[in-house]
Amino acid sequence: MLTVEAKNVDFYYSDFHALKNISLEVEKNKVVAFIGPSGCGKSTFLRILNRMNDLIDGTRMTGSVLIEGEDIYAPNVRVDELRKKVGMVFQKPNPFPKTIFENIAYGLRVNGIKDNSFIEQRVEESLKSAALWDEVKDKLKKSAFALSGGQQQRLCIARALAISPKVVLMDEPASALDPISTAKIEELIYELKKDYTIIIVTHNMQQASRVSDKTAYFYLGELIEYDDTTKIFTNPQKESTQNYITGRFG
Amino acid sequence: MRHLEQELTALRQDVIDMWRLVISQVGKSGEAILSFDKDLAMQVSMREKKVDAYELKIDNFCENIIALHQPVAIDLRFVLAVLKINANLERIGDFANSIARLLITHPSISLDADLITQANLREMVEEVKKMLVHGLEAFENEKTSIAASIFSEDSVVDELNDRAAHVFAKYIEANPDRAYECLHLISVFRKLERLGDHCSNIAEEIFFYLDAKILKHSPKI
Ligand SMILES: Nc1ncnc2c1ncn2[C@@H]1O[C@H](COP(=O)(O)OP(=O)(O)OP(=O)(O)O)[C@@H](O)[C@H]1O
Ligand SMILES: [Mg+2]
Repeated sequence: MLTVEAKNVDFYYSDFHALKNISLEVEKNKVVAFIGPSGCGKSTFLRILNRMNDLIDGTRMTGSVLIEGEDIYAPNVRVDELRKKVGMVFQKPNPFPKTIFENIAYGLRVNGIKDNSFIEQRVEESLKSAALWDEVKDKLKKSAFALSGGQQQRLCIARALAISPKVVLMDEPASALDPISTAKIEELIYELKKDYTIIIVTHNMQQASRVSDKTAYFYLGELIEYDDTTKIFTNPQKESTQNYITGRFG
Repeated sequence: MRHLEQELTALRQDVIDMWRLVISQVGKSGEAILSFDKDLAMQVSMREKKVDAYELKIDNFCENIIALHQPVAIDLRFVLAVLKINANLERIGDFANSIARLLITHPSISLDADLITQANLREMVEEVKKMLVHGLEAFENEKTSIAASIFSEDSVVDELNDRAAHVFAKYIEANPDRAYECLHLISVFRKLERLGDHCSNIAEEIFFYLDAKILKHSPKI
């Protein structure tokens, strides 16, 4: 089953053509890595998948994106509903200036959930899914800022998971973390794909090869090659892909 | 040049050096038998240690590159192919040595020069050497077209070996008292034939490295 289906997507920042005819499909419960040199359009494409680019003035998109079969750019789509289905984790951990508990409960409350025992249960479940529960269960009332960078990032992942999304988008989620926190996030991604479809942007080639089932290589706004990760890292079909992943690039 | 590229270039050079040494070992051991030259056989035997040293060095080099640089795509295939080519070259070196040692461990044995001619030992040695040289050329110039020729050369070697077997069978029938020395010659052919198989393995590795094609256990081109 396809969770994400992008068809012939073109995207412009004013007159800058940032994405060129991108078509890409992601199957349910798979991890896909987006790789490519800085400025090639990875984050732009990731943001297209939950309409984050709508917030930027002067942008224009053509083509279509279906999430679980539904066109997310159809006129009747409610963006807040879409963001519940498609969660996002950013490069820099960005917890709210609230307690650990409230960081997760907040998203549930905004979504109209009032049942406190359900909220408590969901907070615990999300923290467990994000492999953070054991480290924070005794300090849920402490500020989220008292956590380490790696813990904050897992808190942000827990926050994204709390509202039970179908897809989790991660834009360089481990680039600001030390190797141990990075390893934890990578383990987590591996665990999470049982329940979620995950798309991760990473500059770390080994990270892409370790965590993903498929890898998409972008270059200058084009999707150059998209294939099984084992294939991309042992026998890529395009010379440009090979030059990039072997570090012979430019 | 990037650090990894420098390492890969140095590794490639070590493999090429080892390969040249092994070609010379095979050539000399063949020559030693063909001309009953014990001194030459001694030379081969002495240099066997050098082949072994290359094998260890190259293995270690590959291990370090994988651990420190995590090569991918063609770089990964290159290192994996080198690991296997290295093992095959070492075995080929062993065969050359054991052919040469026949003259050293059995100094009193007298081989029948007519029999050697009839069995086509020179041709066999030349053919096997050709396979090794083509392997090196294919590796150095990154040309699978040269590697492909090795598979047909291997068939020639198998055929030469087969024909020699008939010659030996007849010879033993006619000269049962010389069966013992004849058996030694048969073992030389047998070793050369195995050596050809190792060259074929190497050709397969070159295809894997350059084209990501797996030719192992499948009919060749
Ligand atoms: N808000 C914006 N306004 C105008 N141009 C933008 C904007 N955001 C990105 N771009 C341009 O679009 C192109 C793609 O940017 P994007 O951020 O998607 O790249 P990226 O692949 O994520 O790069 P990086 O690896 O550095 O994060 C770049 O040339 C960038 O300069
Ligand atoms: Mg980016």
